[in-house]
Amino acid sequence: MTLPRLTSLIILGAAALTGATSKADDTPLTEPVIRPVTSAYTIEGGSSHIADTYLTPLRYSGWTTALSYERMQAMRFDPERWVMRLTTSFALEKTDNPSRNASVWGVDANVSWGMMRRFHLSSVPSLTLAGGGSAELNIGALYSTRNGNNPVSAKASATVNITGYATWNFTLWRLPVTVRYQPTLPVAGAFFSPDYGELYYEIYLGDTSGLAHAAWWGNYFRLDNLLTADLHFGGTSLRLGYHGNILSTKVNDIVTRNISHCAVVGVTGEWMTLNRRHPISKEARIISALY
Amino acid sequence: MSYHSSHRLSHHTIRHNIAVTFPGLLAVIVASMLSLLLPSCHEIEEYDNDPKGNFEALWDIIDRHYCFLDEKGIDWQEIHDRYAPQVYDGMTRQQLFRVCSSMLDELRDGHTNLSTPFATSYYRKWWSDYPQNYNERLIQEHYFNFNYTSIGAIDYGLLTQGVAYMRYSTFASGIGDGNLNYILMLMQSAVGLIIDVRDNGGGDITNVETLVRRFISEKTLAGYISHKTGPGHSDFSEPYPYYFDPAPTGCLVWTKPVIVLTNRGTFSAANNFVSIMKLLPNVRIVGATTGGGSGMPFSSELPNGWGVRFSACPVTDALGQSTEFGVEPTEGCAVDMDPADILSGHDTILDFAIALLQSSPD
Repeated sequence: MTLPRLTSLIILGAAALTGATSKADDTPLTEPVIRPVTSAYTIEGGSSHIADTYLTPLRYSGWTTALSYERMQAMRFDPERWVMRLTTSFALEKTDNPSRNASVWGVDANVSWGMMRRFHLSSVPSLTLAGGGSAELNIGALYSTRNGNNPVSAKASATVNITGYATWNFTLWRLPVTVRYQPTLPVAGAFFSPDYGELYYEIYLGDTSGLAHAAWWGNYFRLDNLLTADLHFGGTSLRLGYHGNILSTKVNDIVTRNISHCAVVGVTGEWMTLNRRHPISKEARIISALY
Repeated sequence: MSYHSSHRLSHHTIRHNIAVTFPGLLAVIVASMLSLLLPSCHEIEEYDNDPKGNFEALWDIIDRHYCFLDEKGIDWQEIHDRYAPQVYDGMTRQQLFRVCSSMLDELRDGHTNLSTPFATSYYRKWWSDYPQNYNERLIQEHYFNFNYTSIGAIDYGLLTQGVAYMRYSTFASGIGDGNLNYILMLMQSAVGLIIDVRDNGGGDITNVETLVRRFISEKTLAGYISHKTGPGHSDFSEPYPYYFDPAPTGCLVWTKPVIVLTNRGTFSAANNFVSIMKLLPNVRIVGATTGGGSGMPFSSELPNGWGVRFSACPVTDALGQSTEFGVEPTEGCAVDMDPADILSGHDTILDFAIALLQSSPD
């Protein structure tokens, strides 16, 4: 990315961003460094498959949709090697039982923050690999339209994940494209579950024992797969891709499965702010988080 | 577009670092493959959507979740073996429904239903084998001359004998603190209060709490609730005590004698109400043993879309005693309605309660 091209982005970014990135170019390195923020706003839509034996022994299928935001930036302490990634999303899903006479609605809110160490292969300069970890919070619920005293299965988890990505930059008929594959895998944490036949009414009465469970792969397995292609049309990019999520938990003899496959579409761009007191040096080096 | 033009890592350094990081990436790749295998460890039983599959699904749901199998001495496996041969491929939905609902009737539980598009099964013997012991019109006509006040599911008024009467027909209908303030204020001149929950089939247990709070002055143990901790017939949690707090400041609290009228149709949340009231001072239960229904019901479903409801979480009284089979009246207060009294416009149970209050107003 060249500096003149960035000028338009800088102007756009000045209007869009505030203090969060206002010190983006304030780096202790002797050589001026600009660390643009890579932001992506996406919507997702696709299929959802739910099973939750607290609610029903049957498997439900239907649709899911989500709004997501992703923010990546090279980290100040070592912008060459480390990038941070913040994601947040809100998902809504509706599924039906095989007879289509009952539905389960699902909502889920998610936020994660992580750091990744990246590596560049000198032999394949268009390829970047990164690996690291993230911390994630999830909260949501499944609601069955048919159940009386057990209509809801609440979901909450806090996990530590391993994550990484591989990006490949290439041109497609003179159109710059960045393809990225990013899996995320929780390895430990804690999650919420009522007991096998426990009513939420009992929890409401004050019996809150045994609701939090340590998460490990044996009882809490989730794998998030994100495959995107960012098509760079000037200052902004079109993001197209696939987002798949597999969740399988088993605790207190309650099994939960939630599998979704979604198409992703959105816009991405790199943003930064201007500071009139500290104009950007023409010698400044741009360290992008993703591109 | 490139990452940037001047990364300064040496080739050697890159190789070294990639070697360090590949295990991490490898873990992700391995995990990706494991994702296809690991969920299979979290098995979910699957049933065919045919008569046998639906029958087995229903039997399994009850086997794993129903909470009174041991308490009622039910040999569920024997019941399976007796009913399973009656299920065959090609039978109609109605035939399957009859077999399944007959099997559920073995639970002797008014909280257990099988719901289909054409019928809902219902075990009726918990009340049909007993005297009705209640006639709504009789009270409306002969005790109030139809001059009573209604608010929500509550009918109330002052009887000519100076006794307050309040009928709560269903706990499915909520009642507000303001409503209760008004009712109790209007009836505060009475020597005592009769709460008639005969034929009250239950409803929302939080409405029970709203009403009970008017008769307690301190935090009161209401009972114990437990739940199944696993699919075994005796897998239960330790009973958890639950308490009711008194009504908030500013709410009227009734401190005069109270009599609760019951019959076999007093069921579920109403049964719970009676079990709590019975152990309060100054409260007597008059009438017949209630219908029980102390298991909080869960819902589930079969592959063909039929719904099933069943008792899942047992609730006991404050003494830890089960009320699944009903709450007996206070000693000396068991009364059945006399058909001859009905013909002469009298409710034997209500008359007994009125006399009790008049003879011992304090």
